[in-house]
Amino acid sequence: MTGADETIFATAVTWHLATQRDDMDWDGFTAWLEADPQHRTIYGEVALTDAALERHADRLAPLSEAYASSTLPRRTWPLWAGGTVAAALAAVLLVPQFIAGRSETFTTESTQRKIALADGSSVLLAPHSRLTVSGRHKDELALAGGAYFEIRHDPQRSLTIRANELEIGDIGTRFEVQATDRAVRVEVSEGQVEVRGDALGDPVELAAGHRILFDPAHGLAMVASVAASDVGEWREGRLTYDAAPLALVASDLARYAGVGVTMPPALAGRRFSGTLSIKDGNAAVRDLSQLMGLELSRDAGAYRLSDPG
Amino acid sequence: MEEGSITANAGLAGLLAAHRAELLRFLAARSGDAGEAEDLLQELWLKASLTAAGPVANGRAYLFRMANNLVLDRSRERQRAMRRDRDWLERNEAAPAAVEAMADPSPGADAGLIEAEEADLLRQAIMSLPHGARRALLMYRFEGLGQAEIARVMGISRSGVEKHLAVAMRHLRQKLADCGFFVAAPSQHREPAGGLGPHGKNKP
Repeated sequence: MTGADETIFATAVTWHLATQRDDMDWDGFTAWLEADPQHRTIYGEVALTDAALERHADRLAPLSEAYASSTLPRRTWPLWAGGTVAAALAAVLLVPQFIAGRSETFTTESTQRKIALADGSSVLLAPHSRLTVSGRHKDELALAGGAYFEIRHDPQRSLTIRANELEIGDIGTRFEVQATDRAVRVEVSEGQVEVRGDALGDPVELAAGHRILFDPAHGLAMVASVAASDVGEWREGRLTYDAAPLALVASDLARYAGVGVTMPPALAGRRFSGTLSIKDGNAAVRDLSQLMGLELSRDAGAYRLSDPG
Repeated sequence: MEEGSITANAGLAGLLAAHRAELLRFLAARSGDAGEAEDLLQELWLKASLTAAGPVANGRAYLFRMANNLVLDRSRERQRAMRRDRDWLERNEAAPAAVEAMADPSPGADAGLIEAEEADLLRQAIMSLPHGARRALLMYRFEGLGQAEIARVMGISRSGVEKHLAVAMRHLRQKLADCGFFVAAPSQHREPAGGLGPHGKNKP
């Protein structure tokens, strides 16, 4: 690549990153594309490259564990109270004193894991998820994946949870957060949380029995009611949806039931309502395909949903 | 609940009408084809009208993002179809005697193979990235961190993060290009006989 090409490429990447933000200058981008046909070609390849990464996220994400996290401080924690039924289901971890300013990262693979925070609050981290705790007062959390929070109210501090482009704050309550790069979902079963984010404009107060579903790619946020008993129900081996995009259901099935499900882009936005038992991932996928009248096939170890015919 | 500047989705199609000219111009610039842009605008209008109800934070940006994604989806489909055709042709060239016995390519089986190969290729490309670029890319793509957050974790500036991501993307793009991933690009790998689709017959 020549120097000029490199400059065009860097500009294309900058535009591409900005497309996800609400302050993206779409007119400026149009003008840049029009300025030189090469801009269009290079931008198109950047977008396709990133789309390929996104499509293979399930297969590639483990790299993240191996490389991105390896440079963060990591320790092994002693297991608490082995032997009880609860401990067999979820390893309970005690977070000791932190070294000031350091961040601490917790990751799960195929099993969920309970993290006890120093102030008595606790987090049940879903399978295939990652929680980072940082800040001087250990009150800045960042989540990729799913978690059920039970936060003890403490007026002395303001705990915040970063989930993709959203921030959840003002909390002393029980709620669930799901954060992937395709969607963020917050469901409150007790108390109230505040959800903030540039894409939302004004902060959204979310009370018990409500949830917000945020689609970062389109800057679309939806608030709806949810039965308090449905919040965090993956802990009981069940997932309930009300008009949820199929792509979100698929990412939940990958996380909680350990089954990969792909679909053509045209199906990703189709809505699903119903309850899936996730104790058996294969059965869950079959139920989903039947409930939606979709055809189920299997290749290369993953399920694929498609329109029949 | 305070909804502020949130636009009801029922208004999305109306909003599209208001921004029609800009969107069409964008689609033409992005796809490089005025005719295709008209077509895409129609598709965008359909999608906007059918999108399930819900508040949209910034309607105009939302429509542009939808438009941008439509172009991406279309180029992805085109590229995948061309790659399938090319693979089919290559296999025919490799074993001409078997051609008569060969069925039309089965998109399902081929797609599975292509998917797995692609994932392997990307995995290797990511592993061969310089350390900083790899870390920034993994956090951006697989841990859902924003640029500002990556900057904080890595202790560098936001523009430093962009540079890392540009290095990573350029490297990955090159690896993909080397394997003929961008077959839809006009300058590369265009098959000389345009009529040879999945149902085309091998030339003697």
